[in-house]
Amino acid sequence: MAEVEIVSVSKAFGRTQALSDLSLTIGNGEFVALLGPTGAGKTTALRLIAGLEQPDKGSIRIDGRDVTGDAPADRDVAFVFQQYSLYPHLTVFENMAFALRAPTRRVPEADIRAKVQEIARLLHIETKLDNKATQLSGGQMQRVAIGRALVRSPSIYLMDEPLSSLDAKLRGELRLELKRIQVDLGATILYVTHDQTEAMTMASRIGVIEGGRLMQIGTPREIYENPVNAHVAARLGQPAINLLPAALFGGAPAGAETIGARTEHLTIARGADGDVSATVKRVEHLGDQSHLHLDVGGRPVVTLADPEAGFGAGDVVSLRLNKPLFFDARGWRVAA
Amino acid sequence: MNELSASSRITYRAVMVRPGVARRIRGLSDKTLAWLFITPTILLLLAINIFPLLWTIYLSFTNYRANRANVPTIWLGADWYRSILTDPDIWAAMQVTAHFVIWTVLIETVLGFGLAYLIDKKFRGHGMWTTIILLPMMLSPAVVGNFWTFLYQPQIGLFNYVVAFFTGRAASSFQMLGDVTLSPWAIVIVDAWMWTPYVMLICLAGLRSIPDYIYEAAEVDRATKWRQFWSITLPMALPFIMLAVLFRGIENFKMFDMVNLLTGGGPGSTTEVASITLKRAAFESWRTGYSSAFAIILFVTVFGLANIYVKALNRVKSR
Ligand SMILES: Nc1ncnc2c1ncn2[C@@H]1O[C@H](COP(=O)(O)OP(=O)(O)OP(=O)(O)O)[C@@H](O)[C@H]1O
Ligand SMILES: [Mg+2]
Repeated sequence: MAEVEIVSVSKAFGRTQALSDLSLTIGNGEFVALLGPTGAGKTTALRLIAGLEQPDKGSIRIDGRDVTGDAPADRDVAFVFQQYSLYPHLTVFENMAFALRAPTRRVPEADIRAKVQEIARLLHIETKLDNKATQLSGGQMQRVAIGRALVRSPSIYLMDEPLSSLDAKLRGELRLELKRIQVDLGATILYVTHDQTEAMTMASRIGVIEGGRLMQIGTPREIYENPVNAHVAARLGQPAINLLPAALFGGAPAGAETIGARTEHLTIARGADGDVSATVKRVEHLGDQSHLHLDVGGRPVVTLADPEAGFGAGDVVSLRLNKPLFFDARGWRVAA
Repeated sequence: MNELSASSRITYRAVMVRPGVARRIRGLSDKTLAWLFITPTILLLLAINIFPLLWTIYLSFTNYRANRANVPTIWLGADWYRSILTDPDIWAAMQVTAHFVIWTVLIETVLGFGLAYLIDKKFRGHGMWTTIILLPMMLSPAVVGNFWTFLYQPQIGLFNYVVAFFTGRAASSFQMLGDVTLSPWAIVIVDAWMWTPYVMLICLAGLRSIPDYIYEAAEVDRATKWRQFWSITLPMALPFIMLAVLFRGIENFKMFDMVNLLTGGGPGSTTEVASITLKRAAFESWRTGYSSAFAIILFVTVFGLANIYVKALNRVKSR
């Protein structure tokens, strides 16, 4: 395991600027998640660290050593590819053993077998070891791709949306497993995801990336409670933060154009004695909680409600804000 | 599957067929319609493929001669087969054929795959090189035969000149087509020259079918280029290579035109491949029954070998 530093790296593909001036340090044994919308440059960042792409500018250091020009093999990284990239002509076992089989490494066959079986059990694919990689479901392929990385002990694990094809139950389970492995091994992981729950629960720090730029990096708490701008704020929170014109409510600080109100910033009550009144348009029952779709002065607002509260479409309610976030005209945070 | 075809059937009837016709063919089941469509093709195939084959089988048991059609034919049973299979000349021809097939296929596969591997690296101008390399394959065998007859000319031929240039022996001191030991190789060289591009093309298709991301995964897995070649490139391209070997093997087993043009089977019978023996028996000696039997033996041999080979190919593919 090692510390990995990305120093002002830029990368363009033709006229697409995939990454601009990205700097990021992943400490030894740290779990960093990259969160961002599609096309943000997350995969590109991982590929640059792995050496599958060369940066236009900037450098990459692993354990203090500049590896910018090095081939992937010399960087000792493990990669879980977004599109799996399994060897289609090999069995699941051979796929997972491939990296251990390098002639120079001379890992004894019995050790390889034991390691692959251990990881396969962890990922619930131990019965599929003799299948060809093409005779698997998407979720199974994805787990083989994870397994292929986990059998190694590289300087860093690069994981590109490794749980995206799994069902909710398995995803929850593997989230815990991966976190446990990371803690046990003291592994360094850079983890790309769309899923905020994964980022919030697994990462020690989250980097929010958008349009090839790192918007903010910090602990999940910092990112959630103290987003630097509206983009970052919109990344976290379920349901997503409601961005409303400041004029709709009174009491915004100078310069604030937009109010960002998460569920916990909104208090709902029946009747019309709050700051603003709203109409319930629709109620989505999710079991333990309900999503309340409101209409506030023609603006849609989504918030959580207790299913017991018994709101129904057409009800008139009142909203009260409590310590929401404020953003200026360009989306940057304004202190309350 | 069944549901799907049922619904598409309905759509076809509704969309493709005018109401009047639909009413008239409503009585026909899908199966009947299918038969209706393929029957003409089947009849044509029967007439030009199956009937001649059966007729040849029949003739192979008789003493029929095409140049004496009036002589009453006598049923000989398996006599021809017995005499062919015990004839040392036939076995010699088979050996010449085997030598020719094995060496051409071997050389063409190694060179063809090698060229494909180089071309696949996408260096500058690889498109132009591909076209140039493919040229020989696009020529007619008759042209190639004549063309190489000139190249092999001991006095004025370019081939002899080039060999002389590199080895220092006199150009007219050897005759590629007239020498007992050299002439089989002369033919192998021409066939390799002409058909290596074909093998290259098939191998190239195989190499292009391997996605780049597999090599990326292997790079990250720290596989050397050497290991990538042996454990990814070769196994994944193998079905294509085997297909090329099958095509070239069958084609060269029945090779006739080029050998006939270059050496006509000579000198002596050193390049007399089976098809030349067959042609001589059939159209020079007019032993129609005998040559029919020989043709059937060749057919069964190729068919049997090809079948075994295709089984192996399928095993590789499903591995
Ligand atoms: N090889 C390439 N050639 C050209 N453009 C590319 C290439 N790879 C990435 N891009 C572009 O760079 C940008 C960033 O792509 P990247 O794959 O890093 O996004 P991402 O954040 O991983 O998105 P997703 O969440 O959809 O996987 C995109 O606009 C993409 O179109
Ligand atoms: Mg991606």
